[in-house]
Amino acid sequence: MNRSIGSLIAVAVAALAWSVGAAAQQPIVVQWQTANLTESQYEPVWKQTIAEFEAANPGIKVEPVLVARKDHWTKFVAASQARKAPCIVSVDVTTAAYNGYLMPLDKYWNAEPAAFRSAWSDAMLSSAKWKGQLYGLPIWGGTYAEIYNRDLVVKAGLDPNKPPQTFDEYVAWGKKLTGNDRWATAVLGGKTDTTTRVLLMWIWANGGEAFNADMTEATFAKNPRSLEAIKFYLGLADKSAIAAPAPTTTNYLEQTNLYAQGKIATMRNAYWAIAKVVGDNPAMAGKSFVAPPPANVPNAPTLSTVTASSISASCQHPDAAWKFIKFDADRKWSIARAKVANWMPLRNDLADDPEIKADPLLGQFVRIGRNARSYPLPHPAWAEIAANDIVDAVQKALLAPDKTDEIFRDLDARLTKKLRDI
Amino acid sequence: MNARLRRKAGLAFVAPTALFLAAVIVFPLAHAFYTSLHRVRGLNATFIGFGNYARLADDATFWHSLGVSFAFTASAVALHLGIGLALALVVNELRAARTALRIVFLTPWMVAPAVGATIWLWLLEPQFGVVNYLLRAAGAIAAPVAWLGEPGTALASVVAVDVWRGVPFVMLLMLAGLQTIPIEQYEAASIDGAGAWTRFRFVTWPNLRYLVVVATTLDVINTIRHYDIIGVMTGGGPAGATEVLPVLIYNTAFRGNRLGEAAAIGVALLGIVLVLAVVYVRTARLDDGTRR
Repeated sequence: MNRSIGSLIAVAVAALAWSVGAAAQQPIVVQWQTANLTESQYEPVWKQTIAEFEAANPGIKVEPVLVARKDHWTKFVAASQARKAPCIVSVDVTTAAYNGYLMPLDKYWNAEPAAFRSAWSDAMLSSAKWKGQLYGLPIWGGTYAEIYNRDLVVKAGLDPNKPPQTFDEYVAWGKKLTGNDRWATAVLGGKTDTTTRVLLMWIWANGGEAFNADMTEATFAKNPRSLEAIKFYLGLADKSAIAAPAPTTTNYLEQTNLYAQGKIATMRNAYWAIAKVVGDNPAMAGKSFVAPPPANVPNAPTLSTVTASSISASCQHPDAAWKFIKFDADRKWSIARAKVANWMPLRNDLADDPEIKADPLLGQFVRIGRNARSYPLPHPAWAEIAANDIVDAVQKALLAPDKTDEIFRDLDARLTKKLRDI
Repeated sequence: MNARLRRKAGLAFVAPTALFLAAVIVFPLAHAFYTSLHRVRGLNATFIGFGNYARLADDATFWHSLGVSFAFTASAVALHLGIGLALALVVNELRAARTALRIVFLTPWMVAPAVGATIWLWLLEPQFGVVNYLLRAAGAIAAPVAWLGEPGTALASVVAVDVWRGVPFVMLLMLAGLQTIPIEQYEAASIDGAGAWTRFRFVTWPNLRYLVVVATTLDVINTIRHYDIIGVMTGGGPAGATEVLPVLIYNTAFRGNRLGEAAAIGVALLGIVLVLAVVYVRTARLDDGTRR
């Protein structure tokens, strides 16, 4: 009897030791969620990045979380609330940090050698900081410019070497580019923050401002130049009649579809849109040219998005996550992203890289981006303001153009209250 | 077994179900109410009592959304019932192909709402959608219509898609009701010279009335909580024209990061649904009494 009990205990101990050993041999799993893993032009790059990272780090497995762009933020919030957010994420850093969803990265950043840290400018890093702490490592971005279909421009009797410089010239071009069932451009009014990105650029191009310097007040209607720009831009759909119909449902996806099918001749977008267009319609390869957005004031800035990789507050393996972020930020992958997915690298040391310079379109975007403001804007409520409040106002103004003043005055009041309610 | 033991045994049998229900219904509801009493910003929460409810009462967006919810629910339910009853009457009269038709009519109900909504989103797409293509080919419209881009057509479109999805359920209920009506009642009415309309008015309708009330109440409860179709097709836009309460809750919670306010809207919606549930239960009891 005693011998049986002894045997049982021995078997149990052996089983326990085996299971502990097996668990110890299991690789650490870190999940990775960005809004872009589902985009076909990026797929070959991220798959290769993961494969090579896992080969170099056998103890770590990176699990991509595939989620549609429009559900990316909500899924992240829901997971963060449940303390189950993916370890590595690319989200609106200020909003996420304010809400406690991200982990400060200063410990990891400060431990890196100076040679690594010098690849990012202070200005670039500041876009990933909240209250003095670093919450993300800027990885890639996109400068917005005006992208034209060369064939349609030439067909309309216009000179691709002399794109419009001012708002009036833009409308003049637009009228020549608009024809039967074909339009010059698309006004974005769909329910994503791309609507806001484009609106901000038109405001800045007219010398206006959407917010005061410390972002405690909205000035869409208060600043006359802002309101003038808003009316001009939204008027492209109505007054100037050079934009495709249904602007209130037009987002990035619809806009690039229209451009890829030759329904619109120009679009305000970043370099990645060209990869998307060519992916949708290979016949469009090499047919686009790019120019700075038309502006009514000298040196008007355009907009550059900054996408940073962060570690969620609930991450169980932050060391492994940081290791992957560093790996993903390497020159090799930055160049691959630029060449394959058309995403611009944000490292200082890559601006003059021969491989970047070899792509003339990318070079043009880099030049235009030298005078650009970072996006998202640094406010904890920005995610909602950009995707909800401003878009709602744009939609209302598109539906009732004669009430634009009133709609944007209401928006100013609403946003000012929201900006101060933190 | 004495009474005390029997009582304990009874409780022991009920306990697993009670615990399960507490875990999946009572706890989430209590937590939602608890959340509604806080100002929640991400993982940080501050107790503010009924502040979120006071804010709601003052919030034009909430009242607008409530109005949209009622408009959406009233029109969708009326159409579910009207079309569902009509189809049930037709299918009930058929002698051939009844089963095949039932399956055909039930198909939209079998499709997941989000999937159906995505299909309709593309069908209604202004430039490349099939609906505009067919209408233009038939000469019914001269230029593409932005079905989801104008407030009126957007609300009508989501109602239409909800009707497409919701009619089969009502049709099935009505068909089941029609098949319980004794054939003798129709024969007696026919002998008395009753025509089709008279037979419907004095035989079919009185027999179906209870079922219509039950179907209406259940459908209202179901429709007023509905999120999927609108969430996928319009996200509440354009300019809030289709922002029913569930969509407002989603937008407030996940786009706005204001979980406390979203929970307060959720509790308000629960209140509305509870009132409807009471109506349903009372109707069911009333009928039970009259039948006995």
